[in-house]
Amino acid sequence: MNKLEAYPTLSRLYDLQLEVFPAHEDFLKRRFENSSDEHIGEVAQLAEIVERIAGYNLRVIAEDYAWLTDRMLEEEYHFRRTGKYRLSTFEEAERTVYADPVFMQKYMNGVLLSHLWWGNHSRVIVYFRRQFLPLIREGGSHLEVGPGHGLLLYLAAQSQAGSVTGWDVSETSLKNTRNALQAMGVEKPIALEAHNIVNAPSQKFDSLTFSEVLEHLEEPLEALKILRSLLNEGGKIFVHAPVNSPAPDHIYLFEDPEAIIDMVEQAGFKIEKTECFPGMDAPIDRARKLKLTISTIVVGTAI
Amino acid sequence: MTNEAIYAEIEPVFRELFDDYEGPVNAELTGNDVDQWDSLGHVQLVVSIEQIFGVRFDPQEVTDLPNLGALVDLIAAKKSG
Ligand SMILES: C[S@@+](CC[C@H](N)C(=O)[O-])C[C@H]1O[C@@H](n2cnc3c(N)ncnc32)[C@H](O)[C@@H]1O
Repeated sequence: MNKLEAYPTLSRLYDLQLEVFPAHEDFLKRRFENSSDEHIGEVAQLAEIVERIAGYNLRVIAEDYAWLTDRMLEEEYHFRRTGKYRLSTFEEAERTVYADPVFMQKYMNGVLLSHLWWGNHSRVIVYFRRQFLPLIREGGSHLEVGPGHGLLLYLAAQSQAGSVTGWDVSETSLKNTRNALQAMGVEKPIALEAHNIVNAPSQKFDSLTFSEVLEHLEEPLEALKILRSLLNEGGKIFVHAPVNSPAPDHIYLFEDPEAIIDMVEQAGFKIEKTECFPGMDAPIDRARKLKLTISTIVVGTAI
Repeated sequence: MTNEAIYAEIEPVFRELFDDYEGPVNAELTGNDVDQWDSLGHVQLVVSIEQIFGVRFDPQEVTDLPNLGALVDLIAAKKSG
């Protein structure tokens, strides 16, 4: 594709993706035709990281992305027909997704590539780098709950944080995060541990990432209160959760961005900044009217 | 139900979902003519149609249709069948 020519890695990934998933051409073409040159430059930087994390698995990861779009479409039909997410309990999500190594591996691979192909996902990462990472305390301790594929924990490890910790319920996610940090040559102290956020150990951190986990929980407000208790006073939190976004392991439906923002505030955070990135880069009014997915970001301070 | 009657019911839904499109809503329309008609938009269109006409589609049968006319034919077949 012409617009990507200046970026060899991104072009290569684009061509590979269409080679294994030709039916996605219209989607990907539109995605980049509608993106500014500046944003494409940012996605090209992410492509360098994704390619290194993927290593020799790149083709499999591209196939798993295609598989993921099928799963998402099934969930989308269910959601549009019923107005509800298919699952409602953590137990079901754990059994059918997190604790199933084959499903979870494909899922995390697909999500990793979605950060290049879905405008809302790539914009969340760009925002995280530009607007959140500079708030992390110099030499401070950083925690991510639910790092999954490891991309955001890697970016945090690149910041001025002194140490990074990842907690996840899924062994497959912990393995992926470990591999990602290793592939990227991270040298800082890293701790990766199996924990469910609802039974978290009592430790203290200076900053925290909680991206695409809130909607996986039966009692998201309780989880946010636990996160609050894990932060030192003045600590910063990055919460990212989607509204109207069916997926194989989403159980808690947020119907508008305000529901997420209010919940973060209620859990004991001062809201510093919020941002909305609608799916397919749709205008926000249209996204609200048609109840499309909106990736919602809340940056807060523990008070 | 005639195809004409089906188009009359579909058109307002189609225009609400894909509001950048201003051309005619007819059998020849494809995703290439309508920028907003992507795979997720298609799910919303299909589900709205299911609700209006009281029919149910298997997602497989409504994926990769050549144009809107093919979808209308499917509705007509379900309504008469
Ligand atoms: C969709 S992935 C998010 C990956 C990454 N943070 C991102 O934003 O793309 C969700 C991750 O949260 C983990 N997770 C789900 N529920 C959890 C819980 N109760 N406690 C800890 N981790 C959880 C899953 O195992 C998975 O790795």
